[in-house]
Amino acid sequence: MLGIRDAEHEETAPDAPTLFISKLVCSLVGKIQTIKIVPGSHAYQAYGRKEVTEQFFCNYGLNPAFRNKIGKEQLKITGVDLDGEVRIVELSDHRFYVATLFLPQIFSRPGSPHPLIIAYLKAALVFQTSRRDSGIKM
Amino acid sequence: MNQLLQVGVIGDYDPNLRFHIATNEALLNAAEALSVSVDTSWIPTESLASGLIGKTVKQFDALWCAPGSPYKSMDGALRAIQFAREQGWPFIGT
Repeated sequence: MLGIRDAEHEETAPDAPTLFISKLVCSLVGKIQTIKIVPGSHAYQAYGRKEVTEQFFCNYGLNPAFRNKIGKEQLKITGVDLDGEVRIVELSDHRFYVATLFLPQIFSRPGSPHPLIIAYLKAALVFQTSRRDSGIKM
Repeated sequence: MNQLLQVGVIGDYDPNLRFHIATNEALLNAAEALSVSVDTSWIPTESLASGLIGKTVKQFDALWCAPGSPYKSMDGALRAIQFAREQGWPFIGT
């Protein structure tokens, strides 16, 4: 997708010419950040808020050199930190396709589930029902 | 009976990894809130690295790409992510 056929990850292919995913300038392991959510996105529908707080456990992220490649096609940036760094992307023409750099599951507790995961399972319920109704074999 | 959701988690499950356990638990927490049941299956990335993966992943109602890189097979993980993208399966990557 995005026409980048040789996209690589710095962790597994550090010498590759096209490092789409590169080491972060500073590690996000254990960090908690405020994230601004783009209205109209799946993430916004899930959270119902323009700002959320999430926790990260990663050392890698989108290489800033590719930042301007994202957003023009169906892949949209829908969450950024206060410095504008990409934290959530999603596909605009998909029933639910959301990728986060943080780990929403970490903040989930019994009786206090995470809104993104609720939205994800709701999409799964609708999808299951539509597949059943259209008779597509499992 | 509650509606049962089958979720396939793309990743190499390690019971010692806090994030993997949290993934399973977060699905249970969300399912409970929605009054549905969830059955979570981990799909080892090496099992997705070759052959047709449709049979393996089509049985699921949603796919989740788990944290914990590097994967044993990056290709396997990417093929499942591509399937979700192109075939319209609900997907979250965290």
